[in-house]
Amino acid sequence: MKKRVNIWLVSSVLLVILAVAMALCSTVGVVHFDRESLLASPIFWNLRLPRVVLSVLVGAALSVCGATYQSVFRNPLTDPYVLGISSGASLGAAIAILLGLEAHLWGVGGMALLTALLTILLIFKIASIGNRMHTTTLLLTGVCLTFLITAVISLLMALRQDKMESIIFWTMGSFASASWMDVWIVLPVVVLGILVVLFYSKDLNLLLVGSETAQSLGVEVEKVRRRLLLFTTLMVAFAVSACGVIGFVGLVVPHCVRLVCGADNRRIIPYSIFVGGLFLLLCDTLARTLIPPNELPVGSITSLLGAPMFIYLLYKSKRSI
Amino acid sequence: MIDVQHLDYSYGTKAILRDLTFDIAEGAFTAILGANGCGKTTLLRCISGLLTPNRGTVSIDGTAVSQYTARQRAQKVALVQQHPQTDIEFSAFETVLMGRNPYQHHLQNESQEDWDIVENAMKQTNTWHLRFSLPSQMSGGELQRVMIARALAQQTPVLLLDEPTSNLDIAHQFEIMELLSAINRNEHKTILIVVHDLNLALRYCPQALLLHDQSLLYQGPTPDTLTPDRIRVAFGVRAQNIDGYLRFER
Repeated sequence: MKKRVNIWLVSSVLLVILAVAMALCSTVGVVHFDRESLLASPIFWNLRLPRVVLSVLVGAALSVCGATYQSVFRNPLTDPYVLGISSGASLGAAIAILLGLEAHLWGVGGMALLTALLTILLIFKIASIGNRMHTTTLLLTGVCLTFLITAVISLLMALRQDKMESIIFWTMGSFASASWMDVWIVLPVVVLGILVVLFYSKDLNLLLVGSETAQSLGVEVEKVRRRLLLFTTLMVAFAVSACGVIGFVGLVVPHCVRLVCGADNRRIIPYSIFVGGLFLLLCDTLARTLIPPNELPVGSITSLLGAPMFIYLLYKSKRSI
Repeated sequence: MIDVQHLDYSYGTKAILRDLTFDIAEGAFTAILGANGCGKTTLLRCISGLLTPNRGTVSIDGTAVSQYTARQRAQKVALVQQHPQTDIEFSAFETVLMGRNPYQHHLQNESQEDWDIVENAMKQTNTWHLRFSLPSQMSGGELQRVMIARALAQQTPVLLLDEPTSNLDIAHQFEIMELLSAINRNEHKTILIVVHDLNLALRYCPQALLLHDQSLLYQGPTPDTLTPDRIRVAFGVRAQNIDGYLRFER
């Protein structure tokens, strides 16, 4: 019982911190407002607020997916992009940019989503043997597909050098074009996906110990693994389609949480939601405010901030052993 | 308790078990004996439901293992595997607590009852003092006892162990076997254990199953099973029984 109170307590505290951070981050920006004009401004309502919400959603989704993959694949190096969904999405985005669909509403995002979903279908098809999912094959297929698709994208860029810059910029990830529509498209998938992962967080612990152990302790391994992979890959596909490829969050946030609170996924998953959301929110805020009026790529901020923090935590945990 | 009928198992075209039929009485403490590669581990995995036989059935309590859901099965059979994972960052206590998983729903946390059962299992296996240790900080014998504690926490009528004494020194081998004897005696658990040391089996396991050439060579009380003739057939060595102790020669 004691543990349960702690999880709720910590989660509530994190939620409050996240809410305060969201409020603060939406007040800062290139254009300055006083309090009254802020709430009246369309810049606040239609540009900043959706951007803040989207960055939190994507950060939470990527972190939860990373934590899930690290347990399902029993490999600390896996991140949400390991299955090649990001490169699948990038291919779609590149095609959309080459076709000049940027002006259409969700033209690039929609195309990215389409190819990301096709990629998921493809890797699941290849890695399934009967109704079993072979995780090593799944990982290797993902890695291989990533190489293949990256090669195709490079070819496309070489053939159409005039579009190269916008394709590269898309693959670096950005929230600059975030709108409420992005939020409404991404939100249901992320909420549903996170709920599914939370539901199976105890099974994730057992999968982390080993699939045979999990099975002999009463987990329907194949079913659970299939569902988890399905919902997390969908989350990644929608997140990447909305904002491009933002690295590092999904790899490191779960590890940071793990270093602080231990290996229990019943804590790692809920805390990752808040920490991941908060982290990406702060990184995006820095990305758009550090050198106004220009924007920095948010992916580079996540690594610049996150890597030293992670190394510090690793160092600290090493000393405590 | 455990009823095996015409069990066949093969990996691809390679037969591992052929037409195995036997049954194990409730409360029996049985050693599974046989040379390397004769299918002992595969047999345990078929009984625990980790593997599905190609032909034949394994029943526990009158119901085929394949008919149980994973949860129900985990309430009937506990399996202690040969090589416990050592790279896991769950403490011994958390590890044993996982044995309660088959009794909990997805979002349900551990009840006081679960905690008591875990404490009991750990005290019984003399691992309570290790409850905060990680697998990497424990010795082979300690880790093996933690794994047995997890299996006890599952509160199953059947306990399967795959070479729990391999990699242990002689004192720790005795310790594990005495622990299992006590569990068998006090809780009337049906225990099936794969052992390589025939003298260990002779000393602690009243019953034995001797496998040879992918099938059953003999089932019976251990002293009757381990005659020099059968040892010669099953292992290809000569043996002498000297006052209940086996001596081997090539």
